[in-house]
Amino acid sequence: MAAPYVITSKALGNATTPPASDRIVIGGIGIGNMGSGDQGAFLGRSDVQYVAVCDVRRTWRDDGKGRVDGKYGNKDCAAYVDFRELLARDDIDAVHIATPDHWHAIMTIAACRAGKDVYLQKPETLTLREGPLMIAAARRYGRVVSGGSQRVLEDYRDIVNPCWSGEVGTLKAVDISVGGPSMPCYLPAVATPPDIDWDLWLGPAPWEPYNPGRCDGNFGTGGGSWRSYVDYSGGSLTDWGAHHFGGAIFAADLRELQPASVAFHPASGGAGPYVSLTYPNGVAVHHNRPQPLRPEMPSVAHGGDIQVHADGTPREGKVVPTYKGEGGIYGDFIDSVKTRAKPFRDIELAVNTMTGPHMIAIAYRLERSLTWDRSAQRFTGDDEANRLLDRARREPWIL
Amino acid sequence: MAFDLNTLDAHFTALAGFDWGADADFFKSIDAAVVAAHGDTSLRADLEKRFGALLGGSTSRATKEYVCRKLAMIGTAVSVPALAALLTDADNSHMARFALERIDAPEAAAALRKALGMVEGSLKIGMISSLASRGDLQSVAAIGGLLGGDATIAAAAAAALGTLATPEAAAALAGAKPGGDMAAAVVDARLACAEAFLAKGDRKAAKAIYSSISASIGEAPKTHRERAVRVAAKRGLLAAAE
Repeated sequence: MAAPYVITSKALGNATTPPASDRIVIGGIGIGNMGSGDQGAFLGRSDVQYVAVCDVRRTWRDDGKGRVDGKYGNKDCAAYVDFRELLARDDIDAVHIATPDHWHAIMTIAACRAGKDVYLQKPETLTLREGPLMIAAARRYGRVVSGGSQRVLEDYRDIVNPCWSGEVGTLKAVDISVGGPSMPCYLPAVATPPDIDWDLWLGPAPWEPYNPGRCDGNFGTGGGSWRSYVDYSGGSLTDWGAHHFGGAIFAADLRELQPASVAFHPASGGAGPYVSLTYPNGVAVHHNRPQPLRPEMPSVAHGGDIQVHADGTPREGKVVPTYKGEGGIYGDFIDSVKTRAKPFRDIELAVNTMTGPHMIAIAYRLERSLTWDRSAQRFTGDDEANRLLDRARREPWIL
Repeated sequence: MAFDLNTLDAHFTALAGFDWGADADFFKSIDAAVVAAHGDTSLRADLEKRFGALLGGSTSRATKEYVCRKLAMIGTAVSVPALAALLTDADNSHMARFALERIDAPEAAAALRKALGMVEGSLKIGMISSLASRGDLQSVAAIGGLLGGDATIAAAAAAALGTLATPEAAAALAGAKPGGDMAAAVVDARLACAEAFLAKGDRKAAKAIYSSISASIGEAPKTHRERAVRVAAKRGLLAAAE
């Protein structure tokens, strides 16, 4: 005789927890440092049902599953090594992705094709070619794809509010101080531990031997972490830079634009080099411009990291865009999943923002100035710069 | 960073004997020379010759990898034969593509097309990927011919045809009989073709694709993927009708 089917109180919901049919079912891909933080934010929400984790490292995978099972008091959270297995589950509505950057585009596009919404850690892109393809996938399938810099809105109020209120006048220039691009990795081969699927960790990146310093998830960018190295990250310029550039570009209301040009300034007088972006509306965004070259006083500043220079003639203010829902950027994403509205850091705005740091990295690498044709998504008249728009992916991965 | 021409011989000797974990400081000088070669055809040719000589025989995988990274920046048709020789080598095929994909010379595309017919499995997917990334329209027929074979390769071929997005690519995709995972790849590629046709103003061709996909999905899609495809097809039909 079949056992009676019991509908649990958890499935039915209560005053604080929506019924299961109204919860967003989520899985997490890349569940290490940033991924575990994102997981915690989603797991803490009553309108989310967290059902699966995926990581190529057994320890993080097990820890991630343990946190979910501990929260729900069962053993139901599935754990996957290969993200394709997680994406194949039709019961999952949305995923959060916090892998190293070289996986972001492939996973995001695959998730969109599978009909999932995506919360994607910053920096959303590793190359300039990836961005338009990610946007196209999101738009094609009507997916909500949110970038993942929680700091853009929350940490830069000291510059965002006076800029949007109009009190500082018309913006002329922004100075951003943050580290530079990533570097090559020549670390020696070390025996690969059984804890990690090394081939899957590398994925589309060039094959190189395992070394713990190559794939460590710490937040450093000076070596000994994947954030340091060019195959997996844009370095501090795009990693922490995603926050600083994100905040500055939001403050300057440049999120809809992409830079028109990037100027390389060679080292001079013991300072520099530095690089300057110019946006189509004339606003300049300088990366690490030496202090003596900056206007004497910024109009507003975020510590020593971001200085905004404006003309000082007050102008009409604008309402500062903000998150929807409750719970910061995570709540914004979940609300967008429910309402199908664009999230605060919609993938197109994120791609536009990250175009600047990527252009800066190329200008540093080539040590020359470049002009960007947004409609063609190419540099004008510079074959070598255009060669750096993208890189061949290791088989069998295809964008 | 400035570089010293007089030290290049020593640095290329060091490069020839390099392996992962060895002192890599000398790379900075070679990197600087590569940057300095911009607009200097003589230096560029000299560097390309030096790099090409390190792609054969006994140099390590690490050396070949470094060389391919540099040739991705400054390589020309001159480097194609040495790079092409690595395309069938499982250890070095990807890095050979890393360079060839970025070299805007017809010889590079020809080498990838030739290798497409010589390799199997993942390496074949690599060739498909690089040819698509280059926008190599001459490879449409060969890639289209792979839609009926191994499912993984066929899925890659479908994705490539969506990138190339010519009428011939769309026709090959329309004639494909996908199953399993390949079905999603074919539908996605057909949608990409339709978007490309719309962008070029060919609403009739776009509408035909959207109508076909819409009919195949039906009005009661069961899965997230099917619902997303239905959204794509319906939106496409609206755009094509405007």
